[in-house]
Amino acid sequence: MHRPPNKFSPPGGFRRADHQIPYLLCDSREKKSLQCLRICKEYSSEVLLQLDPFLNELTSMFEKSKEKGSVWVTLKRSSLKSKLQKRKLSSAGESIEYRCLIRATDAKKTISTSVGAKDHQRFQASYATILKAHMTALKKRERKDRKKSTEAEKKQGTSTTTKPKKL
Amino acid sequence: MVYIVSWDEFVDRSVQLFRADPESTRYVVKYRHCDGKLVLKVTDNKECLKFKTDQAQEAKKMEKLNNIFFTLMARGPDVDLSEVTGKEPMETQPTKKGRGRKQ
Repeated sequence: MHRPPNKFSPPGGFRRADHQIPYLLCDSREKKSLQCLRICKEYSSEVLLQLDPFLNELTSMFEKSKEKGSVWVTLKRSSLKSKLQKRKLSSAGESIEYRCLIRATDAKKTISTSVGAKDHQRFQASYATILKAHMTALKKRERKDRKKSTEAEKKQGTSTTTKPKKL
Repeated sequence: MVYIVSWDEFVDRSVQLFRADPESTRYVVKYRHCDGKLVLKVTDNKECLKFKTDQAQEAKKMEKLNNIFFTLMARGPDVDLSEVTGKEPMETQPTKKGRGRKQ
């Protein structure tokens, strides 16, 4: 199930299995996509960073993508170990330590970092701050026409412009 | 790709999806400032759940979901989420009944 890269697909292709499709078995369209993927792979190699440099790079990614472009952030659980290492650890009876792998890309470069159980709270807070600071293009619910309906909505949802009224 | 309309349904199904297969489930967030659009995707490479929005309100809810996923992924799928958001706890924790009142 191979889909050619389009503007919605993540750069570098969807799944790693796609790169393993034998070249000779592909049709011409797939060959072109595989070539694109290979070129993409050559140019965009993933950089693994520490937490704070990652956050700084993420901030600059958001800033660069203000006029046009997207920023993708992917969260995945990973032990950062190969299958062989995992098998060895489990057969030795040791527990595999999992981390949360975070990848961010702006279609030009990819950065990543991994967060363990100890530092995820701190990272969470900084990450939330960055998102809040940069996701400003989203619409805010402002219905000043009907005051009664806004009061009802304030009780249900949370809005940044609400002023809590004393009852 | 069918987008889920209800936020709560999206959250419940994505947590379920993750707990069913924590190894291959991933959570993707795509933000386009120029369009003012936010798209969330949770997939285990077999099933895909998507949610899109242009509301700032939903971005706040997304932050909570981020916290949920950080906790699930860093600590493990069996983690009790009630400390994160007051969502359904995995294990029923016995409520602490103090012996007498502390004075």
